[in-house]
Amino acid sequence: MPRKAPEKFLPLKSNWLHILLSLVEGEQHGYSIMQDVLERSDGKVRLWPATLYGSLKRLIQEGLIVESGERPAPELDDARRRYYKVTPLGRRVLDLESERLREIVRVLQAKRKLEA
Amino acid sequence: MTSRWISGCQGLYRRVSRAFPHEFRMVCGDGLERLGEDLAPLIWREQGALGLIRLFTDIALRLPVEYVTAWVNTTKEATMADDLFEGTWKANHAKSAWDPKFRPEQACLRFEATETGYLLVAYGVKDGQVCAERPNAIPTDGRRRPLVDLNGRPIPGVPPGAMVIGSRPDPYTLEGKVEVDGKSLSGGIYRVSEDGQTLTVTTEGMGLKGPFKVVAVFDRVAPDPYLPTS
Repeated sequence: MPRKAPEKFLPLKSNWLHILLSLVEGEQHGYSIMQDVLERSDGKVRLWPATLYGSLKRLIQEGLIVESGERPAPELDDARRRYYKVTPLGRRVLDLESERLREIVRVLQAKRKLEA
Repeated sequence: MTSRWISGCQGLYRRVSRAFPHEFRMVCGDGLERLGEDLAPLIWREQGALGLIRLFTDIALRLPVEYVTAWVNTTKEATMADDLFEGTWKANHAKSAWDPKFRPEQACLRFEATETGYLLVAYGVKDGQVCAERPNAIPTDGRRRPLVDLNGRPIPGVPPGAMVIGSRPDPYTLEGKVEVDGKSLSGGIYRVSEDGQTLTVTTEGMGLKGPFKVVAVFDRVAPDPYLPTS
């Protein structure tokens, strides 16, 4: 499938942003991504399994993540699981999205200052 | 009683997961059914019946979405213009830079599109002998797969545990590489010219006879000898 330019993914879908954020620190499997998102959002965002795997499939097809061939140490590994990691394109998209969100916050703060 | 109820829910979740389209299961494997099975008892403990209803609502809503997506993709493929890679290609020695260890007298490649990428068949004449490599699957879906032959058997000379991964960064380019224990063993880039008539294959890595680098240029064979003429 031809790759899109990173800017074309913006604004990033909420589920995609959560998944990429979970993978930015390292490889994770589906269950740990779900737990990570749940903890990071104080229990407010739960990616239900079919939604999570639907998003993982789309992220793989768009080239933002890939299935990882590396496995953790055997004592930490669950052989049943598939691990995923973010690609350079995925990192670039995440950087652009964080810049976009930062800009929104900056505009909001500037408006608040004007109101005050 | 509760454990039997949860087992029933897990079994139902497993059956629904297996009803997902082939395209979805090719990419996600059995991850969905395993996660659903693992989650069902936890959700039951934390959220009770309401949680299980949400778990099943999630999968019930996703199932038709995935079927519609698969149908749209199939329709797109059916209406697509001719594939740029598909067909038969013959080596143009004047434009190629073969590694002396791998230089054939004649070489042909044949690409056939598959669900996950391409099937590549290489054949030709080397040292006066007609020869052919085993058909090779070139995945373009970004998934990592064991490097085995089409019957799932090991390929002679390929180290155990070798994995193949491929992608299509743009319509004219295929990229693939073979890894062992996370380290790159060899890699190849297949690039078709804009007019679709020339294919440049750049491969580099470690082979049976030591390190190699090949830049081979192929011209499209037209009409394709493998297609019926009438």
